[in-house]
Amino acid sequence: MKIAIFRWRAVVPLVLFLALIVAAWLVFADRVGRLAVERSGTAVLGARVNVRAFHISLLRGNVTIAGFVAASPFDSLENLLEADELVADLDLLPLLEKKVVIDRLAANGLRFGTSRTTSGFVPSSGPGPTSQVMANARSWAAQPALQVPVLQLATGKLSVDSLDPRRLQTVQAAESLAARADSSSQAWADGLGSLDVQGTADTATAFARRLQGAKPTDLGLINDARKMVDRVKQTRDRLTTLERGVRAGVGTLEGGLAALNAARQRDYTFAQSLVKLPPIDAGAIGWVLFGPAAVHRFQRALYYTELARAYMPPGLLPREQPGPKRTRRSGTRVEFPRERRLPGFLLRDAELSFQLSADSAGPRRYAGRLRGLTSAPALYGRPTTLEARAPSVAIEAQFDHVREPPRDIAGGRVRDVALPAIRLPGLPIRLAPGRGDVSLGFALYGDSIRGRWHVTAPTATWQRDSTTAGGQAADLVWRVLSGIGQLELTAELGGTIDHPTLHVRSNLDQAVSDQLRAVVGEEVAAAEARVRAMVDRFADAQVAPVRAQVARVTAEVTDRLQHQRQVLDAAQQQVEQQLRRLTRGIRLP
Amino acid sequence: MMLLKLVQDLFKALHSEGTPGQVAAGIALGSILGLTPLFNLHNLAIAALILLFNVSVPGAMLGWAMFVPLGFALDALFEALGRQVLLETPALVPLWTSLANIPVVPLTNFNNTVVLGSLVFSLLAFLPIWFGSRWAVRRYRETIGARVQQSAWYRALTASRLYGVYRLFRPDT
Repeated sequence: MKIAIFRWRAVVPLVLFLALIVAAWLVFADRVGRLAVERSGTAVLGARVNVRAFHISLLRGNVTIAGFVAASPFDSLENLLEADELVADLDLLPLLEKKVVIDRLAANGLRFGTSRTTSGFVPSSGPGPTSQVMANARSWAAQPALQVPVLQLATGKLSVDSLDPRRLQTVQAAESLAARADSSSQAWADGLGSLDVQGTADTATAFARRLQGAKPTDLGLINDARKMVDRVKQTRDRLTTLERGVRAGVGTLEGGLAALNAARQRDYTFAQSLVKLPPIDAGAIGWVLFGPAAVHRFQRALYYTELARAYMPPGLLPREQPGPKRTRRSGTRVEFPRERRLPGFLLRDAELSFQLSADSAGPRRYAGRLRGLTSAPALYGRPTTLEARAPSVAIEAQFDHVREPPRDIAGGRVRDVALPAIRLPGLPIRLAPGRGDVSLGFALYGDSIRGRWHVTAPTATWQRDSTTAGGQAADLVWRVLSGIGQLELTAELGGTIDHPTLHVRSNLDQAVSDQLRAVVGEEVAAAEARVRAMVDRFADAQVAPVRAQVARVTAEVTDRLQHQRQVLDAAQQQVEQQLRRLTRGIRLP
Repeated sequence: MMLLKLVQDLFKALHSEGTPGQVAAGIALGSILGLTPLFNLHNLAIAALILLFNVSVPGAMLGWAMFVPLGFALDALFEALGRQVLLETPALVPLWTSLANIPVVPLTNFNNTVVLGSLVFSLLAFLPIWFGSRWAVRRYRETIGARVQQSAWYRALTASRLYGVYRLFRPDT
């Protein structure tokens, strides 16, 4: 019996099933699209993205998003941007290749830095490009080169590290000198012993007694007497040589004693270095007051730039990304870009309409343009550019990821705008800059980093948090700052990502440092006196015994030398006296 | 409820009018639904094949239900297999690149390691599952099938509404 291969009667249910799918698409497409935008936006940005309404029209080929809100990844109650409406003209055919190509996007009512009532942070979704970029940005900002000594200025107190006596040069030099004195004393004693001065003197004295009974005709004895005189003279010459050596040695020991004084001066300097002073030079003041704010801004710039590099990488190699979240394992999604084909995402041209500073002066509207935002810059072949120009606003950015190494540069300047408050680190003081000019430039070429943040606020005011005392330094800084009504601040970033350098200066630096120097100077003097006393205590315990030892050794050897010389002189005198008596002053050959 | 559905599928498949080959083909096609992540375009094609070809739909349901747990259990293997063929076999990269730029094909999510790994695995397992199932169904019908069919609980099972739906798609023999 032949079995039919096809089940033709299933065609109708199948068509109905497909019709059901189409109907489900028509009913749920907007909801699915809204969820897709929210989920993908949140995954890319690393903060919550919300959409109030989403509508896709395949007939007209456009998508309309209303109430787009992207939270800031750095501040839970702040939005990165809000948009009243986004209207995108879609290229429909690439959708069949799972590619999103937007020919034109109109973004209306963009606002930046608005506040929100619920947290925009999202829990970490595991390993992924965004979480990796955030981790990198955080570790970058946590580098020692970008850390500010907040607490020292905050407390205004000095701290003194413990003084280890073994590290004092005076103690080390004294121990060395004591050893040298011991060895010198021993060497001199050995030298005197080898001369045998006493033995020579005793022999000469005994010979003089023999001469007392001799006659002038006893020529042999007279000759021996002369030899004895010569022997005594030789011994004295050697004694003289030894004396010269001793004098030199004593000089060395005294030099060592003098070196102890120099070592103590060096120890004073070393001990003073243990006094941790608050930064009271003008350059450091700017760093302490505004360093964290500057680092915070550059960290944000680095995060968004690195994010762009992660999602807009150069080159055409297959790229891995985490798969979708589902009950089954997510797996890894691999993109295979191909030359002369469309990238997975491309926004050709976006017209931006945004407003700044909704303050008492009222919101001001500006227009800008974003071109060539794509997930595969090498396919698009041109850098992504952003520009917005108006009489008081200039914003330009270029992300060139077409080829390695990626080159990113962004800069913006806004004049006469309401500036956000800046809290001084570790101090209960807040700067309200009021209206002013602000500019921020940031460039990342490969891993070489450059940045500049400049703020000019001619009508700045200062606010003190009355609930927090803040200590002496806070009082001092408050006294200084509350009398200053303008702010000129510049922060410059350089170096590489791994080894950044940051310089911050402001018009407040000199004023604050002068006041701090006056107050802290007294504390510094007292602290230095304390550490000098500590050095003296440790050094004296070692130096005094050494001085006594050197003095004793010197006196002993001098006395012994003098005594030995006297003994020799007396013996020589006795022999010569007997010799003159025998020869009656006649000098015989 | 799921267990009851599984039992219903099992007996409907085993006692359906379909030949052992039709039941086995249904089970083999259903295994693809079970082994691969469900919501992907290729599974729509598999479902269409199950409906259009004269295979046992209960068999497909049975295959799907049986292989879903196995799919979860083998996800790690599928991911490794998918990674191997997608990323670690340079000779295949031009193929994937071409497929990725052909309309509709990217909608299948073939470029996901788990999807591709499980699909490759299920395609490789298709014939063994088919032959194995055909042998098992044949043995069942030759041994205890007739007695089970006469039992009261089987008649109660087949009297349910689902059985009426099944009859719409039972294989033509």
